[in-house]
Amino acid sequence: MSPVLQSRGKKITAADNLYTVILAVAFLAVLATGVFVAYQCYTQYDTIFTIQ
Amino acid sequence: MSTLTKVLIVLLTIASIFLCGIVVTYVANADNYKQKYDNQQRILQAAKRNEDNAKTQLNTTIEEKDRDAEKLGQQIASLEEQISKLQSDLATAQRDKDDANRKVNNWAAIVMDFSKTLENYEKLVKNALAERDLKEAELIKRDKELKDTSAALMENMAIVKQLRDESKRLLEEKTELQNKLDQYLQQFGKAIAEPIPVTPEEGAVSLAPPTKDIELHGSITEVDLKNLLAEVSIGTADGVREGMRFHLTRDNQFICDVVILDVWPERAVGWIELLQDQPQNQPRVNDKVSTNL
Repeated sequence: MSPVLQSRGKKITAADNLYTVILAVAFLAVLATGVFVAYQCYTQYDTIFTIQ
Repeated sequence: MSTLTKVLIVLLTIASIFLCGIVVTYVANADNYKQKYDNQQRILQAAKRNEDNAKTQLNTTIEEKDRDAEKLGQQIASLEEQISKLQSDLATAQRDKDDANRKVNNWAAIVMDFSKTLENYEKLVKNALAERDLKEAELIKRDKELKDTSAALMENMAIVKQLRDESKRLLEEKTELQNKLDQYLQQFGKAIAEPIPVTPEEGAVSLAPPTKDIELHGSITEVDLKNLLAEVSIGTADGVREGMRFHLTRDNQFICDVVILDVWPERAVGWIELLQDQPQNQPRVNDKVSTNL
C-alpha cells in the first residue's frame, strides 16, 4: 500500500492504518473487558483465579 | 493487504466488541455468591447458636420440670397423707355425730317425759296454790279470830291484874288486922286460931309447869308494852307449850319474865311479868329468852 499506487489512479481504498486502528480498538475492548472481569472477581471473591 | 484480511479484521472487531459487551453485561449482572455464602454462613452460625441456646434452655427446662415433678410428688404424698388423716377424722366425726344423734334422741325422750312430769307438777302447783289461797283465807279468818280472842284475853288479863292487886291489898289488910288482933289477944293471954277457908282457895293463875328439865332458847320478835305482850321466835315445833315461863335477858342482865299464853308452830305470844320501871330495862326486840337462866 504505497502512496505511489494511489497516485496512479487506481480505485481509492482505505489506508492500512485504518485497519490497524480497528484492530487496536478491538484489542482495547477485549483488554477493557478483561480488566473489568478481573476487577469484579477481585472485589467479589478477593482473588482473580483461585477459588478459596 | 488483501480484501479478505480486511473483512476478517472488521468481522473480528465487531465480534470482539459484541462479545465484550455480552461479557461485561453478564459480569455486571452476575450474583455475588461469596456475599450470599457469607450471609448464609452467618445465618447458619446464628441458627447453630440458637440451637445451642434452645438445647441449653431445653435442658434447664427439663431439670426444672424434674425438680417440679419431684416437688409435686412430695406434695402429692403429703396431701395423700393428709387425705388419709382427714378420712380417719371424718370417720371419727361421723361416729361422734352418730353418738350425738343418739344422745339427742335420748335427751328428746327425757325432755318429753320431763315436760309431762312438769305438766303434772304444774297441775299440782295450781292445786296447791288454790289450796294455799283457801288456807290463807282461813288463816286470815283465824287471825281475825285470834285478834278478837287476844283483845278479850287482854281485857281478862287486865281484870285479873286488877283482882290480883285487890287481893294483895286485902291480904295486906288481913295481915294488918291479924297483927292487930294478935296484939289485942296477947294482952289477954289468948291466941287466935289459924283461919281455915270455907272453900279451898283456887289459884287465880296456875303455876307454870316445871321447865328445868328442858332448855329452850329464843329471841323476842315483837313487843307490845302497852298490853304487856311479847312475841317469841320459837313455837310448838321447838317444844314450847302454853304456860311455860321464859326469862328475858340482855347482855347477861335480867329484864323480865314471859309466860306463854298462845303458841303457834313457829312462834309464841306471852304475858310480860316482873317488868321493871327503868326505860333501859324494858324488853326490846332481839332480846334473848330462855327457860333457864
